Amino acid sequence: MWSFVVVQLLNALSLAALLFLVAAGLTLIFGILRVVNFAHGAFYMVGAYLGFTTVVLSGRFWLALLVVPPIVGLIGASLEVSTLRFIYQRSPNYQLLLTFGIGLVLEETVRVIYGANSKSVDAPSLLDGSVHLFGTPYPTYRLFLTGLGIAIALGVWLFFARTHAGLIIRAMAQNSEMANCLGTNVQRVRTLVFGASCALAAVGGVASAPMTTAYLGMSVNVVVDAFVVVVIGGLGSVVGSAAGSLIVAAAQTWGGYYISETAMILMYLVMGAILIFRPHGLFGEKE
Amino acid sequence: MKRRKFLMVAVGGISASVSLPALLRAQTQNQVKIGILTALSGAQAIYGEQTKRGVEYFAKEVNARGGILGKPVEIIYEDSVADPATAVRKAQKLVEKDGVKFLTGLSMSSEALAISPKGPEWNSLLISNITGAGALTTTAFNRNFFRINKSAAMGARVTSLYLQDSPMKRFYGLGNDYAYGRDAVASFSKQATALGKEIVGTAFPPVGTKDYASYIIRIKESGAQGCYFALTGGDVPIFFKQALQFGLTRDVKMILETLDNKYIDQVGDAMEGTIGSTRYAYTIDTPKNQKFVAGFHAMHNVYPDYPDAVVYQGLDWLAQAIEKAGTADDLEKIITAWEDSTYEGLEGSLFMRKCDHQVVQGGYMTEAARDPKFPHLVPKILTHYSAERVTPKCRTENFD
Repeated sequence: MWSFVVVQLLNALSLAALLFLVAAGLTLIFGILRVVNFAHGAFYMVGAYLGFTTVVLSGRFWLALLVVPPIVGLIGASLEVSTLRFIYQRSPNYQLLLTFGIGLVLEETVRVIYGANSKSVDAPSLLDGSVHLFGTPYPTYRLFLTGLGIAIALGVWLFFARTHAGLIIRAMAQNSEMANCLGTNVQRVRTLVFGASCALAAVGGVASAPMTTAYLGMSVNVVVDAFVVVVIGGLGSVVGSAAGSLIVAAAQTWGGYYISETAMILMYLVMGAILIFRPHGLFGEKE
Repeated sequence: MKRRKFLMVAVGGISASVSLPALLRAQTQNQVKIGILTALSGAQAIYGEQTKRGVEYFAKEVNARGGILGKPVEIIYEDSVADPATAVRKAQKLVEKDGVKFLTGLSMSSEALAISPKGPEWNSLLISNITGAGALTTTAFNRNFFRINKSAAMGARVTSLYLQDSPMKRFYGLGNDYAYGRDAVASFSKQATALGKEIVGTAFPPVGTKDYASYIIRIKESGAQGCYFALTGGDVPIFFKQALQFGLTRDVKMILETLDNKYIDQVGDAMEGTIGSTRYAYTIDTPKNQKFVAGFHAMHNVYPDYPDAVVYQGLDWLAQAIEKAGTADDLEKIITAWEDSTYEGLEGSLFMRKCDHQVVQGGYMTEAARDPKFPHLVPKILTHYSAERVTPKCRTENFD
């Protein structure tokens, strides 16, 4: 009995780690830029496919995890500079259309370059095996994913709580005009936040590939879950997206075990309940 | 007044240039138009990519021999994104705007179930090359629909015939939560139970599940010796990869509803030993198939998978029916000519029965195995079952 609970908990944690890496960026971009980034799943996907390429070329998974996120971050930052920057003042509809369009362009580019077959990435040999938990084998890679998720969540939290740069970003989230008046280069911070969020999504993408393969539907698949996470956790709150990721992953893992058809419904039920009883989310602030 | 006049001229000119070609097209119809409605983008684009390859091979071959009834074949592609609502809209566009009468290439049963009922109203034919849901030739059947491929029930039938002689007793059924996955698992369960085997559990994860861990644990706990799974294209490698990581593939025999090349491509050597029925295998050793495989490989540099091969057969058979009917415009005559007709297919003679437009066809059980002639695993043919044993009774999914 306990072994089952622990194994399911680990499954939920490893899935939550992937969701968090996407949802955290989504919520950051909304908090600082006030843009709902529909293209965010596409950066996750681009991360996974570039990770595949790096592993094929170099044979090193760790290199992919190190090199791909900065590249995707650069792609994200340059897209912010060349497109998003011009529409912050316009109605949110423009931002929706633009980010949705960017997402489609990225997805189709991946399809044209890599083809429609999904791409399998092997976990590094260190993590490829399994450990014995209560007499049953459990994939080592999932333990690594959990650790990675927790480490990055702590890192992001410390960055905002303890560093000067984090302070500036929090100030901008509260009132960007005031931050501007006090000497913050708002334009540059926006670019950096967008790029960093895309890089986070790419970490998720690279890390997901050995578990889920790199496949064409992964972008939409993950972004839908990430939106639910953000709604549950509260828009703009990184702590909220960590909590939301855990809730969504637990709902999918346990839902899938007991009544497979409800794996998705359960997650939306939680979201519905949150919207009714706590519309600003678990950790979001009232607007 | 000048401005208004300019506007009128402009409007007149534009509408003429838009509608004139359509009018001209409607009058002449000097070519046979075939609409390929398939998932060219999105998560199921693999099926579209494969279907397109088969269609390209057919178009090249048929036009090289002078077309159908002396008319060249024109192919018009539309992207269905594997979404039923989009598929219906695009199908309507193909029929009403492009004047297409023949539609094929759909990737998902859900799309085919949405479009098939429109056939009589639109005066168009829908030819299934991969969609497996039983309803298409049973409860939702209409005369404007033809199925050239084996249905999900037929695949399950082949597997259960094979398992009849197997020492394995306990099975688990895993299917995606939509028409095809549910049909295949239901059919397999029914047939396996009739053989005295035990179904120790079933689960229906949603299409696009990225974490199969919970399902894998359930399968392990169930004590099944074999796991029958009918998952859609993109989900198979994900499930397989995770099943491997959890050590499931060591303890449980993997049985695929269709053992496709694309899975062998994507999963690689880890797939060795997996068995499954197949709707087509490039290893079938008839002269016609060997010629097809060689020509196809020369054109596309890959071996044909079942969507490539079956869409080719469907269109080639359609061409035969049109020539027999002597018209490419009178749909009623074409349907009648196709009904109860025989066609020399890649795996031998095929028969299109009149009562439900389901192709009467035998089935193969295959295994992903090594072959010294190839650098990768190939679908090795284990056994062949005759058409009488594999095709269900008319308008049903029953076999005995």
